[in-house]
Amino acid sequence: MKRPWPLYTLGAGVVLALGLGVASAQTAPRTDAVSAAGKAPAASSTAKSTPSATPDPAVQVQADGSASPAPTIEAEEADPAPKRADYAGVAQGNGGLVALSIRNGKAVAYFCDGRVESWLKGTADGSTLTLTGKDALITVALGDGKAQGRLQVGKGKWRFTAPLVHKPSGLYRASAVVRGARVVGGWIVLPNGRQVGLLDVGGSSAPAPRLTPGSPMTFEGTELRPQEPDAFLPGL
Amino acid sequence: MSLSQTSPLQRPDPGPQAPGSAPYLVPLLVGGLVAVALGVYGREHTPTGYAVGLAGFSGAQAMKSWLATASFVLAIVQLVSALTMYGRIPGLQAPSWTGALHRWSGRLAFVLSVPVAFHCLYALGAQFDVPRVLVHSLLGSFFYGVFVAKMLSLPKRNLPGWTLPVLGGLAFAALTGLWLTSSFWFFTTFGVTF
Repeated sequence: MKRPWPLYTLGAGVVLALGLGVASAQTAPRTDAVSAAGKAPAASSTAKSTPSATPDPAVQVQADGSASPAPTIEAEEADPAPKRADYAGVAQGNGGLVALSIRNGKAVAYFCDGRVESWLKGTADGSTLTLTGKDALITVALGDGKAQGRLQVGKGKWRFTAPLVHKPSGLYRASAVVRGARVVGGWIVLPNGRQVGLLDVGGSSAPAPRLTPGSPMTFEGTELRPQEPDAFLPGL
Repeated sequence: MSLSQTSPLQRPDPGPQAPGSAPYLVPLLVGGLVAVALGVYGREHTPTGYAVGLAGFSGAQAMKSWLATASFVLAIVQLVSALTMYGRIPGLQAPSWTGALHRWSGRLAFVLSVPVAFHCLYALGAQFDVPRVLVHSLLGSFFYGVFVAKMLSLPKRNLPGWTLPVLGGLAFAALTGLWLTSSFWFFTTFGVTF
């Protein structure tokens, strides 16, 4: 009899989705909880602590602090900053993009709306960061899988929410010398494919070629190699 | 009715339902609930930006694009095998294995789509800011609703003859739209990369 087979098909899909949910919750690079999970987020080494893992990773993060489901700023300030995390999102009310990358205590943020850009730097020593750049300031709180904060570039002020992102999304930077002028390019790629970028050519802005993550591009006959934060962040 | 003999729908089987009731009501209702639930979940929970997927690809988008493409190819098999079963391809008599081909290609297409949809919903959520993403989010919820409705309709014997073709056609149309707004967009934007 083939009567129940369609239900088995549905059941298989549900089981598969639940399995993926549990696996994702356990292996997520919840770097906010770095003390418990260690540095290899891909290895499912944290499985024993929560055998009946809830598929909501936010609960896991809270588990080592307070059990309150609503994260408070006080609780997050006690958390260490992630060792490695990339965030990217939209500046509300401006439409420009904001990216934040953290590598081993160092944080770099980039704002770009295609006309105005700003690189900001700071240290990542807690879950609230302050980054500064030329005439620019970002304050940001990390947690719950996203970076939320305020951004000030020149006279403009915006709020932003930037979720965690993964390659090929995130922040890219290229620097080169083209005919004696220092060229610095910045790009932000969102998971939905949206991207924005700008070139700084010896102090003035120029439209950036469209970025294809992983591929070089040419600007005025010179090759630019946009790099990921792993490559450029330690040198900034 | 031009249904061929392979369709189980014409067998006289009064079943527990009264003749006047609409036997497709429950599957449609459940399917609708599933679609709404997926949409609400995608909208309400905070996207994690991360989800487990298949290894071996350059990134989550490439993985999803290829899985969706495989699922879409199988969906074309679905369409052709269904047309054959219903005798809609002139001059082609459905071979005896057409039903099995239809069932197994459908199961495989569904299973291949689950990791894709999981990543979409869990890591990204339903988003409405860009038309492409808006259409994709809505079609994604709609597809699984239709799919559930069709799976729940299959075992029922007293359905009107158009039920399964309509549900299957909607599922195929939705999957085509999903493929166009995701894989096709990815391949044309980033190139055909793994």
